[in-house]
Amino acid sequence: MQGALTSPVDWHAIAPELVLTAFACLVLVVDLFLAERAKWLAMPLSAIGVLATGAATLSLVGSERTTLSGSYEIDAFALLLKGLFCVIGFIVLAISFDYFRSGIRYQGEYYFLLLCSLLGGLVMSSARDLVTIFIAIELISVPGFIMTGLRKGDPKSNEASLKFFLFGVLSTAVMLYGMSLIYGLSGGATRLDRIREAIDGSGNEPLVMLSVFFVVVGFGFKISAVPFHFWAPDTYEGAPSPVAAFLSTASKIGGFVGLLVLMFKAFPEVADIWRPVFAVLATLTMTVGNLIALKQRHIIRLLAYSGIAQSGYILVALALIDPSSPGVSRQALESALVYIAIYAVMDLGAFAAAVAYARRGGTYFIDDYAGLWQRSPVLATLLTGFLLSLAGAPPMAGAWAKLFVFLATINAQVYWLAVVMGVNAVIAAWYYLAVVKRMFFEAPELEGPVEVPYFLRAVMGVAALALLVVFIYPPVITELAERSIL
Amino acid sequence: MARSYFSQYLTIGLFLVVSVGLVMGTLQLARLLRPNVPSYEKYTTYESGIDPIGQGWAQTNVRYYIFALLFVVFDVEAVFLFPWAIVFERLGTQALIEMVIFIAILALALLYAVKKKVLDWL
Repeated sequence: MQGALTSPVDWHAIAPELVLTAFACLVLVVDLFLAERAKWLAMPLSAIGVLATGAATLSLVGSERTTLSGSYEIDAFALLLKGLFCVIGFIVLAISFDYFRSGIRYQGEYYFLLLCSLLGGLVMSSARDLVTIFIAIELISVPGFIMTGLRKGDPKSNEASLKFFLFGVLSTAVMLYGMSLIYGLSGGATRLDRIREAIDGSGNEPLVMLSVFFVVVGFGFKISAVPFHFWAPDTYEGAPSPVAAFLSTASKIGGFVGLLVLMFKAFPEVADIWRPVFAVLATLTMTVGNLIALKQRHIIRLLAYSGIAQSGYILVALALIDPSSPGVSRQALESALVYIAIYAVMDLGAFAAAVAYARRGGTYFIDDYAGLWQRSPVLATLLTGFLLSLAGAPPMAGAWAKLFVFLATINAQVYWLAVVMGVNAVIAAWYYLAVVKRMFFEAPELEGPVEVPYFLRAVMGVAALALLVVFIYPPVITELAERSIL
Repeated sequence: MARSYFSQYLTIGLFLVVSVGLVMGTLQLARLLRPNVPSYEKYTTYESGIDPIGQGWAQTNVRYYIFALLFVVFDVEAVFLFPWAIVFERLGTQALIEMVIFIAILALALLYAVKKKVLDWL
């Protein structure tokens, strides 16, 4: 323990986290001294903070280092995800600006909490230690509970916050119990590589299985996998919509990163045992998410269930991991990374369009999307792009995301899972295209133009363009993922 | 292969049965073993051994909640300060700087509370 305390800290390695922490504190303090009219300045300040964090992340590109006694690792995997979290943070800030500027009183606090939660994501990308992983996942979740309840006057927001909190605490308790078992089994090691050594051939497989099971259940709540998904649609609907966008991307991806790191670094030896768990979870998550989404009439609930279904595809990648054939594992992890990156951008894009429409002359109900094409061709086109991408249809990047997971499944010779994926892609296309059809082929019921703020329009445009570029030239993302596997 | 496979899942089932059984079993066992002598005192609400006074529905000023929150801030600070103080001499200036930063961040919470006027008692 003495060594852990006195070992020098590699300050450059944790620069992104330090920068983000500094900016979060700065936002909190600056907000205290701003007049009510000028509170919106917290948003540009936060945006600068996220950009600075991104710059700090870029300055680390190409270096491989560990610090904090090996519990914190900076490698291509961590850097890719840190970059992704910065992108998510920036887009969420863009969505939030218009929403929070009018109507909600806690702007400064909101941006502070958002940056804190984002910090959790950055920590999670590098965490290679049970305790660090736990702190990271809590740092992502806890500000989320408060952000969800920021619309204090709205009972739905309160309900959403309470539900999220109770499920979050429950999942944490289950996960911690699993972690405590792991701690005991590994003889007191918390670093993932040590745990792997300690577990390998120890003859404790039943207990290892039990602890892995608890940890997976805990993470299952965080990534809203079926059957642990009940909180997600209600929470997203009641939360301020930008917060829902954040929860369905950053928070979920944080959970996936933790799960991937744990499974790859600590438990590859017992992969034979947990692989079927993920196969079942993936099947349930995809199918149930898609089937319930068919009946949704509220766009945020639709996106919530679609998000649940999308997590299923990422879980498929986890169900393919096989240490005895490294090629298959590599491909599975690559496809998971590609999927995560593309999912983040397209899901945020769809949320951005939904929030912009609801704020500027529309509602959250899908019926009211009728004839959006006539009222705002730009918004209708952008939303169509994001929905097509989510459905996995060309010409958007979502098509490649699904295809890569599909190919990995074929390559691993798990054909039944590939069939499940194919069927689900068809079901999903139905409800995404129903919204598109309504926007283009039905007469508008609501009147008046839809004026989306220029900044948000620009961010959505860039996101859609990025998805298009990735579709035309996928190596942009695949080569990055190839270099970034654990 | 397949057998060892399912025996792994058997552990989880076994764990479930044992954990439910343990709770049920001990409760039933206690019921069999304990003497049953009900009296008025045993049915009153337990309040640290004192006779309960008034109704269970007592209201507390919501402001205490803020103090409770602020207490947590400084409680956590103390948890880190004591072990730090013990090994401080061996750690040197770097530890001092780190602790100053840590306390400064916690002090932000106090600054926030003061600026939001939650410490003014009306």
